[in-house]
Order: sequence, then structure tokens, then C-alpha cells
Amino acid sequence: MGIHPLSIILVKSDSKGDRLLFRYPHMTNHVRDLNQYTKRKNPYSLTNTEDLLQSLPFPTSNISNGNLTGLTDEVLSTLFAVKPELCEQKFELKVNDVRFVGHPTLVLSRGLKEVNSSMLFNIVFALQAQASHSIVKCYYDLSKRLGIALRHEEKRCGFLTDEIKIMVSTHDEIAGRSEGESDCDESPYELILQRSSLARGLKSVFSNLSSSGIVNIIINKWIQVRFCLPQKVHQSHKKGLLIDPEIIDRCLNSLRPYHGILLLTEPLDLLESLQIDCSPALKRLIQMYNPLKSLQTLAADSDLTLAQVFQLAGHLVYWAKATIIYPLCESNVYVVSPDAILTNQLLDSFSEHFPGVCLLQVINDFSLPTSISQKLNPLSQPQQQTQLVKIIIWLLKNHLLLQLHTYVRYIPTDIQDQETRDTNAMEGSESIWSLNETPKGTPTEIKEELSLTDKEDTLYDYQSEDYDIPSNDRKLLDKLCRLGYFDGDYHLEEIMYLENIRRSQLLQLLDKFRDVLMTSECEDAAIALFYSRLGT
Amino acid sequence: MASTSLENVEDKEQEDPIRCIFFAEFHHIAGPKITCQVPDNYISKDIFDNVSVYIIPKAQLQRSTITITLKDYKILGFPVKIDDKKYARNAFYFNLCFVCDANARTVHYEPVVKKMSDFLMALEVENCFLSASDDKTRLAEMLAQVMQDLNLHKMCTLTEGTMTSHLKVVRLAPEPKPVLDHQVPIFLEDRDTFQNDQWDLTTQQVLPYIDGFNHVARIAAEADVENNLVKSCVQNLVYYGVVTLIPIFQYSNVYAVTPKLRKLPDDIKLQERCIAYASKLARQPAHFRDIYRMYSSMTYGVSMKDLCQRLNPQNLRINERRLVQFGLIEGLIRRVYNYPVLLPGASCSEEAKNNPIYKYFTGTYSLDEICCSTGQSAAQIEDIIERDPNVLMIWK
Repeated sequence: MGIHPLSIILVKSDSKGDRLLFRYPHMTNHVRDLNQYTKRKNPYSLTNTEDLLQSLPFPTSNISNGNLTGLTDEVLSTLFAVKPELCEQKFELKVNDVRFVGHPTLVLSRGLKEVNSSMLFNIVFALQAQASHSIVKCYYDLSKRLGIALRHEEKRCGFLTDEIKIMVSTHDEIAGRSEGESDCDESPYELILQRSSLARGLKSVFSNLSSSGIVNIIINKWIQVRFCLPQKVHQSHKKGLLIDPEIIDRCLNSLRPYHGILLLTEPLDLLESLQIDCSPALKRLIQMYNPLKSLQTLAADSDLTLAQVFQLAGHLVYWAKATIIYPLCESNVYVVSPDAILTNQLLDSFSEHFPGVCLLQVINDFSLPTSISQKLNPLSQPQQQTQLVKIIIWLLKNHLLLQLHTYVRYIPTDIQDQETRDTNAMEGSESIWSLNETPKGTPTEIKEELSLTDKEDTLYDYQSEDYDIPSNDRKLLDKLCRLGYFDGDYHLEEIMYLENIRRSQLLQLLDKFRDVLMTSECEDAAIALFYSRLGT
Repeated sequence: MASTSLENVEDKEQEDPIRCIFFAEFHHIAGPKITCQVPDNYISKDIFDNVSVYIIPKAQLQRSTITITLKDYKILGFPVKIDDKKYARNAFYFNLCFVCDANARTVHYEPVVKKMSDFLMALEVENCFLSASDDKTRLAEMLAQVMQDLNLHKMCTLTEGTMTSHLKVVRLAPEPKPVLDHQVPIFLEDRDTFQNDQWDLTTQQVLPYIDGFNHVARIAAEADVENNLVKSCVQNLVYYGVVTLIPIFQYSNVYAVTPKLRKLPDDIKLQERCIAYASKLARQPAHFRDIYRMYSSMTYGVSMKDLCQRLNPQNLRINERRLVQFGLIEGLIRRVYNYPVLLPGASCSEEAKNNPIYKYFTGTYSLDEICCSTGQSAAQIEDIIERDPNVLMIWK
């Protein structure tokens, strides 16, 4: 899938020319190259040097065993030491099946001798070519951040110049040594790792990206660079699904005040892991956090504006610290998520949290859509209730459950169909409407009114003339239809929230007008983005 | 086989056209320069100088596909070096480059650039086509032809003297997943419109049995073709977008709606197609609201059988099997599968130990898969599960 980096490379270019200073992981290329050249398909075959078109020994792949190969330090340094015109913008180069991305950064050298010389450095990530645009963009962002931090440190105290000096002198030392003594196959990069803190920093960036996707380094013990690779962070609980920043943005754009957040880690652990200089608003939000609260309630409780809470929630989701849910309440209906994979690891982890309860049996109960109130027994103890809520929270955290919402769509009875039914009704002396428990409108009236309406344009728009029941219910239906709530895009909870009406009222309405109001049970699109088989 | 591609796929490809093709070489005095460009001066000299190191690179990078992305352009090249004493520096370096928009995908042009470079290289070796004179009008004609033909038709035939080369842009799609026994292939395009004779013999033998109801194992049996061959045929058809795979239809199946269903009442075109597809008779189309009611009633715990009993689609002029097919193809509904799981640590009865079917009760095989691999009917297996309290059925 190409989310892991193949290599991280640091290149500089100044008045003394360009040089590859550091690369990680590094390996002795010489041995491999020898292998490549001696490897022939048939030991007896002749290499035909005459045939120019057919026998070309150039490799078409620069990746072997997940490592970058076939490109020497000199080649890479000429490639990455870009012309000044290409500095301070995205650098993207693809060579065969490797994609290099970086942000070439210019700094004014603090060297005492040359006053006005500028130096270019480029931290380049080598990725697999099939890495998607959004992955490349994230790596570019990281390279840019590191570049900015290094430039600042260079300005402040010449950190970069010092580090470059260490690296260059180590390179020279090894090069000089290998001429004289024969027994040193030692790579200069090992020594550089021991001597240079920047090199160690870059190494930790690389290994953090490969292991957790979260980078947190302090450059020169002064500037902190924090970065999160969303595609990696969000994969920890799901294989085969890439959560791009675009997906997170889409989820956040469809966030509503009635949504809630579900922290994926314990609130106390999260508070401890926060930086000292983190926003006090975030701390307050986490202190007030409860999966039963909507974002609006959270905003009120933590004394923040709703917009601020939205942003903090977005932040938490991006860093995979939280996920978006509908706040837990008795009427929530849950079902097994289609991408739930019950691994032994999950089973063990579940029985650790809830001894004596079998995950499979719990999951099995949700094979049919089940609401919390259905699971609650009026005779059950309070601790059983809290246990149930805890179990549901655990299942939601692991994306094993999916919440279903009821969506309503207004679809008027077909006009043609209605006419035939009307004529039938007149002939049969029994109104069709009486069957539908919506009396008081005589068929003939309806027919007349219908013939007035424009059949083509407004076939599926609401026409209040269809029903002539002067009741509160009809007024409510009229109002909700006009506001577009029955266009199929709103679920019951949303209508309840926006119109401040009770569930029972809505259910009553749905029942009375079930002929024209069709319901379907479906997941909330914003939340479903995090489920692999449901997205898009 | 490669010549088949769907119209909509071609539409998509049109989005990344070639903006410019240029030919750059290493001049023995002036260094790297563009000697021929169509359209003229699309890549200015300044821009070229900035990136010349990627166009005429070091010897180690010869014959590598190199793509450099700039702010406004993406340049794709394949640097080539011809060693010969007759050249000024004992070698002739050139690179034929395609230029696209910065955000375009260019991976599918890579083989084309490579092949065309080889063609030019052959011309150069044969009769010094590139280096003989400074007059590049013939080359310019050639580049213009390639650009026009590839952008319009996705293919181009180059002829120069006695040599000919055929270039074709092949769409790159992700590798389709392996086809399983219990899956049902169904045509996405009209069956009558595509020519049978352009497919290979095995596919031709398999095609008549693809009707949207037969599953792969059954097709293999009826067409008298080896199972794995059928699978690779179907996989190939999936790659080219001719068929897609849907779950097998049974009245015991459970389906759930997807958020896409909400678009159906607003999308008139989709609606018309849906009505035409799912109606029993073309002369008496079904009512849309009945179709919509059928779809929206699909949910967990409601099998097709329940739905048919409740709504009676036959009276509503709906063919429920085709209704389900349409919903699956368009993604309006999805199948809810059932997975039998044996509780871990449960004391195994004698039957559980002896019956080979128990090895499938791990939660990773759906009932369809188990039926297909054991040859037992769903009812038989459900009966076994019903009798053993240690086996749970998880719907997801």
C-alpha cells in the first residue's frame, strides 16, 4: 500500500558543492551491486554486448526487500540538490518504482568567513511509487516542518552548520581511512549516528513512521516537531483501509452538534500524554468528556464555543485519539459492523476487560438490530446496566458495532395509480382512504386537486393538498415536509434535534402516514466513513 | 483482449491528456537542450534548465523512467544513451519526454515513453535518424502525430522508412481480488453489444453461462471448464469492467440498504434504469414507490422471503430477483452475510468432532462459502447449527 517510507535522506548543497550527508536505513551497497551483476540466468550464457537493444542490464526496480537499492550516494545527491529556482516548494521525483518527496529549504549560512553565502538542504523521503497523492502530501508536509525547524535552529545557534560539519568530517575520515587501511568496511553512517544528534533524530523519524505513524522529536533539544501520518495511525485497528486526511475532512464537514466523541484511549492517559503547552481548552474538553454527551453539551459543560469544540474534536479524530459517534442513549440501535473481524487477540482483550463474558455471545446478540433499552431489563441491577454500557463502548471503540438510524423519505402515492384506485373506490363505494386510516377527504376532491397539480415537475415534491386532514399531525407533516426533513437525508435523531420534537411524536407521525413516508434503516454517513466496507 | 475497454473508463482517462512532447539531447558543446518540441515552446528554456539534471541524468540512471513534478507540469522521461565512436563524445544522449498537468497520473504513459524511445533508438542506430542533421521537421511531425493520436484514440502507429511501431496507452486498474466459488458474475454492459469473438476461447465458452444467477462453481460445471480457469476468466472480465461479482441470490438472503439508496428518488435517470431493470414486463413498468418500498424495507433480520410475503412483489409487477441484482450492482443495497462460529472452549459433542463441517465454523467463512465447498444446502447446515447450542450465527 506504500504508506511506509523506504528511506530518509539528508542532502546539502552549498558553495562547496552538493553532498549526501545521511541516509537511513543504510547498507553496504557494494555487496549487493556485485551480486546483481554476477547473477545471470544461465551460467553458460554469453553476454552479448553487440545487441544494443536486447541486452540492457539496467534495473527497472530500485526496491529490494523494502530497501532502496541501485542508487549511489552521488547520484542521489545530484538529484536532490535542486536548482535554487525549485527551492521552497514541493519536490517530487519518481525514479522507476521509487518516489522521492521533500521540501528543499534555503538557509543563510552563519559561517563567519563567507557572509552572504546561502546553503540548501533537503530532507527527502523515499516512498514506493504507488503511494497515493495524499500520502505523498503528508510526507511533503513532514519534510517541510523539519525544514522549518532546522532553519530556525540554524538561525538561532548555527545548529545545522555544526551538524553538517560533523557529518562531512566523518565521511572524509572514513574515505581517508579506507584508502590507507584495508580492513574497514565500516559504513560512515554508523559513526555519524553515534556522533550527530540530527542523524539520530532523522533515524527516529524514520522508525516512528514505520512503527506508529506518530513522530515526536525535539530538534537540538529546543524545537519540537510533532507529526501524525493519518494513514498509518488509523490503521492500527483496521487492516486494508486507508484513512486519508480527505476522508477525515469529509467526516468533520458532516459533523453536527448532536454528534458525540468517543475517546479511543483512557481520558487520564490522554491528559498525561498531552504536551505542557497544549491548549487549556483541550484539557477542559477531555476533563468534561463523556460518551453520553453530545458536542453541544460538551461545549456547554467545558465552557467553550461550539466551533472550538468542533475543532478540538477534529484534532482528536485526526490524531486517532477519538472517533465520532452518536452519543450513547437508550434508543440507539446497534448491529454488528460488516467489517468486524473477531481475532483471538480481540477475544482475549475483551475477556481481560470483562471477565466471564464471551465476546462472541455479545456480538451474536447484535446480529439483529438491538437498542440499548431492549438489552436493559427493568429488573436488572444498576451495575449490570453500567457493565452493558461499558461493553458497548468497548465494542464501538474497536469498530465492531455500527449504529443504525432511521431515515424517512416522503414519496407520494403514484398519480396514475391513485387515479385507478380512486375510480375503484368510487365504484366500490368504499373510499381507499378509509382503509388507510386517513379519512375525511372524499376521493373526488382529491382527484380534482390532483389534476390541477403539475404532475411532471413535482412528482416527488411534497404536496399538502394530497391530504386534507385538519389535524395537528397533518400540520406537523406539512411543516416537516416543507423544511425538507423527509427528503431522506435526515435521520430521526437529527429531526428531533433540529425541530425539538419528541421521538414519540415522530413515530406517531410515521405510523399515521406510513403510506407516503417510507423509512429505511441505515448508518450515519459521517460515521460510516471509518468502516472499511461502507465508505464512499 | 486488451482492446476492450468501457466507454466510461476512456472518459476517465481523457482527464490526463498529454500537453506536450519534447525531445531533448546532450549537445557536445551546448550541453542539455530541447531540440524538438510540440507544441513549440511549451516548456521554456528557463524551466528546462532547472530540471535538465533529471532529463539528461548521470550514467547510472540511464534507461530508468524518471518523472519530475514541478509546480505546473509533470515531465515523464526515459533517458537513453547510445555508445558509439562516431559521436562527438563517444556517446549520444537523448530523452523523449511527455509533459502532463502537475496533478495528472502518468504511470500509464511509462511503457509508451519507453517503447517510443526504443523505436527512436533503433532509428538512430539504423540510419542516424536523430543525429544526422539539425533539421528536426520529420521528428516534429512524428511527435505531433503521437500526441494527437494518443490523446484522441489512446493508440498510435508510427512508420519511418521500413520500421513501424505501435503505441497504445493501457489503463492501469488495481488487480481484481481472487474470484471465489460462490460468487456470481453479472454483466455490467449490454450483452448483445459486445463482440464475443474478441475474447479467448475459454472465455467464449464461459460467457453464455454468465447470466447473473449462476455462481462460479456452477458455471464451471455447466460450461465443462476447469474451475480455476473459470475463475481466472471471470477475474479477467472483472478487470476490464465487463462483469462484476455479486452474492448468489436466495430467498433466505438478508440485505441492508446503503446511504446511496437515498439518492435514488432524486436521480431520475437512475430511477428510470431501475424501473426498466426490475419490472416484470416492459409494457407494464412497476411503480417507483413500490420499488422504493421494497428497497427501503430491506434491513437486518428481514429475509427476501419475509419481504416477498409481506409486499408481494409479483402483484406489484416487480421481478424481485432483478430488483436485488440492480441494487447490488448500483450499490443501493448490500448483502448481510451470516457466519457460523463455534464458541471457543465449548465442550465438543461427538458430532462436532466427527462432522467435517465444523472446521468451517471459525467465523471467517460465510454460509455461502461453506455450502459451496461442502456441497450441502443452506438448510442442512442451518439445521446442524440449530441443533448445537455451541454454534452461533453472526450476521454482518
